[in-house]
Amino acid sequence: MVTRNPGPLYNDILFYSCAPLLLSMHIQYSESRIIVDEKYLTLLDRFVLDFIGVLESRTPYVIVSGYVAILFGRSRGTEDVDILIPFLEKQSFAELHHALINEGYEFLNAENADGLYDMLSKQMGIRIAKKEQFIPNIELKFFKDEVDRKVFKDRVEIHIPDRIYISPLDIQIAYKLYLGSQKDIEDALYLWEIFRDELDHETVRNWMNTLGVRGDEYGIIV
Amino acid sequence: MSMELSFDREAHRKERLAFVRTYAAWVKRTPNAEWSRQQAVLINSFFENARNMPLSPQVYLERVAMRKK
Repeated sequence: MVTRNPGPLYNDILFYSCAPLLLSMHIQYSESRIIVDEKYLTLLDRFVLDFIGVLESRTPYVIVSGYVAILFGRSRGTEDVDILIPFLEKQSFAELHHALINEGYEFLNAENADGLYDMLSKQMGIRIAKKEQFIPNIELKFFKDEVDRKVFKDRVEIHIPDRIYISPLDIQIAYKLYLGSQKDIEDALYLWEIFRDELDHETVRNWMNTLGVRGDEYGIIV
Repeated sequence: MSMELSFDREAHRKERLAFVRTYAAWVKRTPNAEWSRQQAVLINSFFENARNMPLSPQVYLERVAMRKK
């Protein structure tokens, strides 16, 4: 595990030389685990932690897409958090549905448990929010392809200090470039700028090749 | 009626990317407690505003579906 504390800038040294450990973003990074100390939790973080508290007792999961960049400080909001789960049998989903309703969540899609399960089985996302608060919401999906299964297999454990599982950052950067909207490219660039010293550049390059994207134009050079 | 539009989309895109780089550099040199506190102000205000939106779940889902098209 590498502990990164890149140290103060010159101006910081002038003004805060008595407390160097508090002068920069502090993360403990390894390929499978990242610890972010002293993070001030946002309402979005609390929403996600509450939701996965219910989800995790019934199925493993991995968080992908925009929330991954936001978790590490990206300065933007989001309406939804994308979560992938393995295929569930109908009865297991019914139990998850029941547990979420009991914990004060509602399903925004106008379907009962059977209808929601049909949507998931057709590789559609279903949206879940706290009752009468549809933003933020969770978009929950079953894995749909090999990339989703790889993202899950290699998921990264984040401690803020509560535990959250997210997509590997190398795949996330390549996938965001693949999605290609201005917002997605900015998310990719942000993650790259934050983690470029820790990431294995060859792995990032391999994922970019797999998805047929390049990052040179944006300064993501691997 | 024709109107002249002087907005430079490419310059705007480059400016956005430059901002992301500058902001990421600031986050990297700022203690977690501080960057996350400032981020929380932004994100929390976003959600406080969202709670005041008079939308039904059905209308919200229709809007999301339209954005994805």
